[in-house]
Amino acid sequence: MFHRKWPGVAAGAALALLGSLVLGACGGSSGSSSTLTLGVITPATTFEAPDMNWANESPYNQAVYDSLLQASPAGAIEPHLATAWSYNAAKTVLTLTLRTGVKFTDGTPFNASVAAQNLEAFQKGTSNNAGYLVNMASATAVSPTELVIKLKQPDPAFLTYLTQAAGSQESPKAWKTPTASTVPVGSGPYVLDTKATVVGSSYVFTANPNYWDKPEQHYSKIVMNVYTSATTVLDAIEGGQVNVANTFDDTTIPQIQNAGFTVYPLQLNWAGLSLFDRSGTMSGPLGNVKVRQAINMAFDRAALLKDMSDGYGSVTAQVFPTSSPGYESSLDSYYSFDPAKAKQLLAAAGYPHGFTLDMPSITAAFGADTYALIQAELANIGIKVNYTDYQGSQIFTAILAPKYPATYFTLEEDPVPWQLAQFLLTKDATFNPFHSTNSTVAGYLTTMQTGSSSQAAAAAKALNQYLVQNAWFAPFFRPQSSFVADGHTSVVVQAGNAVPYLWNIKPKS
Amino acid sequence: MLTFTVRRLLYGVILLFVIVTLAYLLLYAAAGDVGRTILGPTATPATVALKNQQLGLNSPLLSRYFSWLGHALTGNFGNSWFTNQPVTTAIFTRLQVTLTLVFGAVIVSAVLSAVLGVWSALRGGSVDRGVQLFSVLGFAIPGFIIAVFLVRYFALGTHWFKPTGYVPITTSFSGWIRTVTLPVIALSIGLVAGVSQQVRSSVIDALRQDWVRTLRSRGIPERSVLFKHILRNAGGPALSVLALSFVGLLGGAVIIEEVFGIPGLGQIAVLATSQGDVPLVMGLVVAIGVIVIVVNLVIDLLQGFLNPKARIS
Repeated sequence: MFHRKWPGVAAGAALALLGSLVLGACGGSSGSSSTLTLGVITPATTFEAPDMNWANESPYNQAVYDSLLQASPAGAIEPHLATAWSYNAAKTVLTLTLRTGVKFTDGTPFNASVAAQNLEAFQKGTSNNAGYLVNMASATAVSPTELVIKLKQPDPAFLTYLTQAAGSQESPKAWKTPTASTVPVGSGPYVLDTKATVVGSSYVFTANPNYWDKPEQHYSKIVMNVYTSATTVLDAIEGGQVNVANTFDDTTIPQIQNAGFTVYPLQLNWAGLSLFDRSGTMSGPLGNVKVRQAINMAFDRAALLKDMSDGYGSVTAQVFPTSSPGYESSLDSYYSFDPAKAKQLLAAAGYPHGFTLDMPSITAAFGADTYALIQAELANIGIKVNYTDYQGSQIFTAILAPKYPATYFTLEEDPVPWQLAQFLLTKDATFNPFHSTNSTVAGYLTTMQTGSSSQAAAAAKALNQYLVQNAWFAPFFRPQSSFVADGHTSVVVQAGNAVPYLWNIKPKS
Repeated sequence: MLTFTVRRLLYGVILLFVIVTLAYLLLYAAAGDVGRTILGPTATPATVALKNQQLGLNSPLLSRYFSWLGHALTGNFGNSWFTNQPVTTAIFTRLQVTLTLVFGAVIVSAVLSAVLGVWSALRGGSVDRGVQLFSVLGFAIPGFIIAVFLVRYFALGTHWFKPTGYVPITTSFSGWIRTVTLPVIALSIGLVAGVSQQVRSSVIDALRQDWVRTLRSRGIPERSVLFKHILRNAGGPALSVLALSFVGLLGGAVIIEEVFGIPGLGQIAVLATSQGDVPLVMGLVVAIGVIVIVVNLVIDLLQGFLNPKARIS
């Protein structure tokens, strides 16, 4: 038998390795103050401006592109590439005065003709916001600095859309190149470093040396790392590998705060039931307002918030967000948890023994517990829920067909009332699959569309009240999502957007 | 040998064809409304329909399949539906990262397994029992739990290593070491547990053979008996386990890359599969299929080199 000790080669190698680690560790883990590392939760679908998405993908867009207009953190419209704008009396012709001296990174100058081409391309493109320009009849360059947009009908959210992806400006020459979707050619504050970027995982941007608005260029380099799980983003935060990040899981907030990060809570969605079939064409009982009100009283919203969202969020019975002129705080608690009264309402509506309600479910996304809780609370007042489970996007096809009279979902809350209306409330809104309407709702919507801003705000408030009282929906709560920032970074969050606008993320002075 | 190699490669091509055909059909069967998946709930039905049309999803499935196959044969796997990056670029960029981890784990496992296996076989007693205990634990604890433990204690606790991300060796050697060490350890532990036991039993078997006694009786130095004869005999089975594990490591890397946020094949495999990014998943199926076929062929040829009895005439 051999009893030799193993030679010192292994020990030497281990020491060398340790040495390199120590040297590496001495280099420090955080970047220089002029580098911002942003943790994001989704990769960029494309960098081709006419097809770009918004929301979680907005930082990619804002790094490389300028938009015609900008929104303040509260959503007020501010100048950017367009320095002035005005509507005609009928609010169907919008005239924008454009900035001069702005050039794209390929040297193409920005002018009204380029802006018109961008708007037309976006309207015909495949961004998830392409529908925002559905009311645009034409965009015409009257002169290099004057752009005239004609609308088919007044659109109170149109200026807001021009602050987002729909208003982003790219050199039209880029669209004809084979790298159109991966190499952006904008006039924005940063330029994508395609060599340092690992598409889908890490995007690196360097400061555009010729940027026209230097005060808004806060970093010399921005890195956007994509994290796809709660654990990985928490590890990156605790390891000091990001300055700011979106998070997945509210239960990690205490650990994030322990790591010295500030948590900015956001409420961007509402979770609850959409009672789509308000005329009772598919499910007779839902056509009765008493039944819909009974459903609203069946839910213990505080308990649902605790069980479904770990208590992070706010209970509500309305679909308008707190940042909207249509929001009314008293409506959050309009329906109290009262199963006995719910049963009385059902009996008064002619359903003393309840009824059966078919709904779709997507347990892979919201978890089986969520659906079981809803089922149990409705069973408590005599409504038997039958679920059909779906995978992935098939549930949207089923909901929008429409194949079900109601569904549980988490849907976005837009701060601009007309934007919310176009998504949920107008007769042809995407999430109004039964095209529900009546003269009261249509009247409020018309005022919101054509009235002065104060009239529109009042109409939005009145419409909100009507929707809650007539139980068009049964919202449970507004779940919290969080944006977090380290001690070196100052952040101002954006109303209605998951990520603060890029120029509102700055090094702390 | 040449006939054998050509025949194996032909079988490989047929196997690959069957796999990609099945994968393509299964993926589309489960794909649902692709345009809606990409654009999310806010997009209008008109935009979703336009997206589906742009992706060529309005043509019949078989026509789409043959079109994909025709392009794939020319090396064009299309673009990812969710990042618009060419699939070949996405795979080649990330393959380097994954192969770094997998080869790193194979090398570390081979060295450690040989050392532990031989040490355990030769010393016996408490050393042997210690190595066996390590093996049982290595088998019993899943790699991702080891990964989470390593991140907690050696990245977030001591700050010796980076908890997430990957730094290419060309950018910074110390950065590379700090990002690959923990994933390689997490990938290796299960493998070391298996291969070291294989080496141990093979060495013990070999030590009991008459030819070892004969070699010793002829005065051949012990070192030569061990390194030239015993290890070469014991190497065959260990190599088989190690090589078969190579394919398993590609699967293990999926989880490990997810835990460490490493931009390798595993990370996009998880993302692309959960999103239903068919072009990317198909590219990955082909890439991993080719790797598995080539690795298995190389193992057969290496077995012949190590063990003349296994040579193909």
